[in-house]
Amino acid sequence: MTKTNIIGVYDDEDLIVEAIHHIQKKDIKIKDVLTPIPIHGVFEALKLESRLPLATFLYGTLGAILVFAFLYWTSVVSYPLKFGGKPLNSLSFIIIMFVGTIFVATFLTFMTFFIRQKLFPGKEVQVLDPRATDDKFLIVVDKDEDLSAKEITAIKKAFKDSGASEVNEVEEEVKQKKN
Amino acid sequence: MDQKLVISQKFKTATFILMGIGFIAFVYAFVSHPERGWANLLINNYYFIALTVGATFYLALQNVTQSHWSSGFNRIPYAIANFFPVLFILMIPVMFGLHSLYHWSHADAVAHDAILQHKAPFLNVPFFIIRYLIYFAVWIGLTQLLRKFTFKEDLVGGLKYFEKTEFFSKVYIFSLAFTFSLASFDWIMSIDAHWFSTIFAVRNFVMGFYHAIVLVLLIAILMNKLGYFPYLNKYHLKDYSKYIFVLCIIWAYTWFSQYILIWYANLPEETVYYMPRTKGEFTPLFYTELIVNWLFPFLMLLLGKVTSNKNILMVIMIILLLGQYIDVYMQVTVGTLHHLNIGFIEIGGFLGYIGLFAYVFAWSLSRKPLISKNHPLIEESIKHHP
Repeated sequence: MTKTNIIGVYDDEDLIVEAIHHIQKKDIKIKDVLTPIPIHGVFEALKLESRLPLATFLYGTLGAILVFAFLYWTSVVSYPLKFGGKPLNSLSFIIIMFVGTIFVATFLTFMTFFIRQKLFPGKEVQVLDPRATDDKFLIVVDKDEDLSAKEITAIKKAFKDSGASEVNEVEEEVKQKKN
Repeated sequence: MDQKLVISQKFKTATFILMGIGFIAFVYAFVSHPERGWANLLINNYYFIALTVGATFYLALQNVTQSHWSSGFNRIPYAIANFFPVLFILMIPVMFGLHSLYHWSHADAVAHDAILQHKAPFLNVPFFIIRYLIYFAVWIGLTQLLRKFTFKEDLVGGLKYFEKTEFFSKVYIFSLAFTFSLASFDWIMSIDAHWFSTIFAVRNFVMGFYHAIVLVLLIAILMNKLGYFPYLNKYHLKDYSKYIFVLCIIWAYTWFSQYILIWYANLPEETVYYMPRTKGEFTPLFYTELIVNWLFPFLMLLLGKVTSNKNILMVIMIILLLGQYIDVYMQVTVGTLHHLNIGFIEIGGFLGYIGLFAYVFAWSLSRKPLISKNHPLIEESIKHHP
């Protein structure tokens, strides 16, 4: 099955945030924004929300507890060896806990991100416009089948008015869900 | 654009009352407990030296990195820099109290002490005073030069003074590395003359830098509430919060590095520094210092809603500034007074210094426009967005 998208191509990154606001004002739902570089303000303008920071915090807490449990088990429970006159359960854990926490939090955050975005090695990439990886900035709007011709021209006009250099319609392969 | 700060009569009266309290506290201290008076003088001087050095370093760093987000608030650290000459005068009395503060300044103590004899070529009274003069000459000279450039830029415009500021900011950062390191050795580490720590200068520098940004943000928010800096928006607040959040981790990192190495090596000549701090009457303050300066801001600033709320941020910033007082207090008092004293002398002295700082700061901020209007990056700061 294929789906059609209307894509506005912009030449300048400075236009993007303004263009998003302009298009949103016309009650058009933006599906995606594709840019070769991260642009400040796009995330806020699209009113996206992410729970990833919270996940990172929880993973960090989990990591600290896990590493502490491991160190406690190895050096107090399983093989209690005194060295340097230090107590078995001691401050020297903190450095490893610090590093371990960073590792666990980072690793699990990346894994979460990849799973949520359905990214994996060898995934077939669908590029709507290869120039989005070079020097063009894209705003993508879904072209629903039930849109009237009038609405489609309104979308295209909104793109043009906000400074798009081209407006294209691009088809995208969508995997059909098994019923 | 040419808005200037107008100091209200109320504010002036308040600062004069605070200064009066401080003056009475110090007079009372020197009459009844001279030891506590000297220690307090050093604590308060060092507290504000660290803040002023931190604020001017922050300013130099913003100039070198050509940061646009903060350029609208640059006049705050420029005004804080004017506290250096006052601190220079306030440090003069300390030079007369060396015998009460520093063990190494007693000739008879040095005569029976091999370690102090070994350190004598560096730690002796004449060289100590010469170094003090050099530090302040460098700090006052370079910060006044930076101030001169920014006010000339207001009149002339163009990139000439922007580039000059950037160059002299680099010079200032470079010279701070030497001068502030040695200054922290001189004034604080030499209280425990037998003890040394190689991370001491970094730890003290981070302390000042961290709390200086806290101070800048606190002033920015307070002035915004009074109607100045109308362009202060939530993205400025978020960026400042991130800055403070990172520095709170670096503060804990350096603090803990110093502690754990000494704890791990367990050498008697090093642990002597931490023994009275961790075991005895200073124990509660020792942990309070860590909680107030690290755990509290770490957990608070993790919350996204806090970082854009002016009122909550203001409370956090005031608590953090008290945290630096605990930090400096712990570094000075344990070696000089050996006992925990917090009373009218300490609180009154600190209030006096706050009043003096507030007055000098406001006076120097009010003399020039609040916005460096010809700064090339000023527009981006005023329209700062995510």
